[in-house]
Amino acid sequence: MSGAPEDPRSVDTRAARVPAQRTSRTGAPGPRRIPAPRAPERTLLGYRLPALTSMVLIALFCLLGLGTLTFQLAGTVRVFFAEAALGLVFGAATLLFGFWLFRRIRPVRAPDLPASLVAVLWGMTAATGGALLANSALSGVWSKTMGLAFTSAWGAALTAPLNEELFKLVGIVLVAVAFPRALRGPVDGFVLGALVGLGFEVTENLIYGLNTVAMAGGVNGAEAVVQTTVLRVVLTGFGSHWAMSAVAGAGVGLLAAAGWLPGRRRAVGALLLVLTAVGMHWLFDSPLLDGFAGIVFKVLLNFAIALAVYFAFRHAHRRRVRRALAREGEEVGLRRSSAVALARRRARRRALREVPEAERAEAGRVQELMVEEAEDRAFANRV
Amino acid sequence: MVQPSYTAPDRSRNQWLPLGVAAAVAVLLVAAWSLLNALLPGTERIRAGDEITIGEGGGYRASLSLPQEGWSLDVGASRAGQSYRFHRGPVDLTVTAVTPVGDPPPDAERLWEGMGDIARAGDPTARLGDPEVITTEQGVEGLTGVLRSRTEEGAAVLYPSPDGGFAVEMTLGGRDATTADLEAVADVARTVVFTGEGER
Repeated sequence: MSGAPEDPRSVDTRAARVPAQRTSRTGAPGPRRIPAPRAPERTLLGYRLPALTSMVLIALFCLLGLGTLTFQLAGTVRVFFAEAALGLVFGAATLLFGFWLFRRIRPVRAPDLPASLVAVLWGMTAATGGALLANSALSGVWSKTMGLAFTSAWGAALTAPLNEELFKLVGIVLVAVAFPRALRGPVDGFVLGALVGLGFEVTENLIYGLNTVAMAGGVNGAEAVVQTTVLRVVLTGFGSHWAMSAVAGAGVGLLAAAGWLPGRRRAVGALLLVLTAVGMHWLFDSPLLDGFAGIVFKVLLNFAIALAVYFAFRHAHRRRVRRALAREGEEVGLRRSSAVALARRRARRRALREVPEAERAEAGRVQELMVEEAEDRAFANRV
Repeated sequence: MVQPSYTAPDRSRNQWLPLGVAAAVAVLLVAAWSLLNALLPGTERIRAGDEITIGEGGGYRASLSLPQEGWSLDVGASRAGQSYRFHRGPVDLTVTAVTPVGDPPPDAERLWEGMGDIARAGDPTARLGDPEVITTEQGVEGLTGVLRSRTEEGAAVLYPSPDGGFAVEMTLGGRDATTADLEAVADVARTVVFTGEGER
């Protein structure tokens, strides 16, 4: 199929320039819009009710988590207010950068905004609040059964990977049920998992900062917060919570893509990804390979694992969307290479720049629709 | 063009499965560990004279020995090398090692103020009185004063390590502890010993 040469939005695909969707087709009556597949939200019992229930549960757990955090931290924040404010400023900066970055790494287009916000919120409140309670109780169990010395060395490694990874995982699953169109495959799971981990990390950094103030005797608190932030964002931030829950989230994506009833191979794959996330956390918290070089090694290892998982699934995701775009292109009379190139953000922007300004908004809307439909088509039978 | 349906009934019902499992896991994590922790016995008897390492930093290690019988360690509320909580009848003893940041390290008076702030963070009504000098049996100088809150009155003690690398902070009190109870164990505050690397 070839595009009309006179069409200003038809471009040379060797230069990777992509037109917006044409409004007319040579020798054809006009673009044939494909009716969007029936959205999963539209069936009451199948999706709407579980989604609504999931949202209620998310709200409930987030409120409980926030209440727990408030109860635990209110006294410290009241007395060390300047230190807490400093920690919040660092946290806000981390959150904004991470939110932009993790939404940007999703191939084709950014993930659903409400789902992204809920994922972060879960990490910041429900997961941290719940983990705070569960960690405290399980640490007590280890101290009472294994002794203080053992718990001092191994308590974190035997507590946090289990409680924290599971609490973050619960959030990813609930977001997947609440926003079924936002999490339809491993890449979506990876991105939303990273966002849950980001939220968790931001709140945990604040808690650690305030704990450090107390462990420093309540003196030079700002310095303690800065030191903690530098350590936890600059040094270990590359391979901490976001990386672990992104890997686990990819596993959730595998299950969601199979309608939560996976075959054996997919189930094993998902389980391995979750166990990998727990293992990453375990090694990170364990006293093995302690010291600066050891910590750097652990961080780089976690980062490398997350990248490997990301690129493996990103490739498959883009391939499916490109294939769907090609079919979309065929149906609306768009050159295959031009349609396929719509899978890239930059190519879409470049194409829009070539559209007269008066038509740009509409062309952009058509582009978005086409990409959305292509993703629907690519993952339709997986929902 | 035929689109695959999103709404195959056999699959749509599956949304309830992950929802239920996720909610159950979240509830179980908190409930199961809390229950298990509550069921396990949480105290460990400490014999008079047993040496307990409180913390270390710089070139020193701090230890404590409780002179009386009858003390027990609240294992669930303690962390090795950081903080310990002991009980003896109605008396509570909390011993914490703090490691100040900054160079030069803060002096004892600033650490005393910081200790007061930490006490207020835990209980808004807690106030530390003016400090007086106290000396351990080993001869190390520190500060002591009254720790008062709406519910109890006790004593606070602070010993910076000889090189200022860390400090030992103690509070002695108890909601139901009488003055006689506290006086009976007051010598605990002087049993802190700092050991240099070369002396071990």
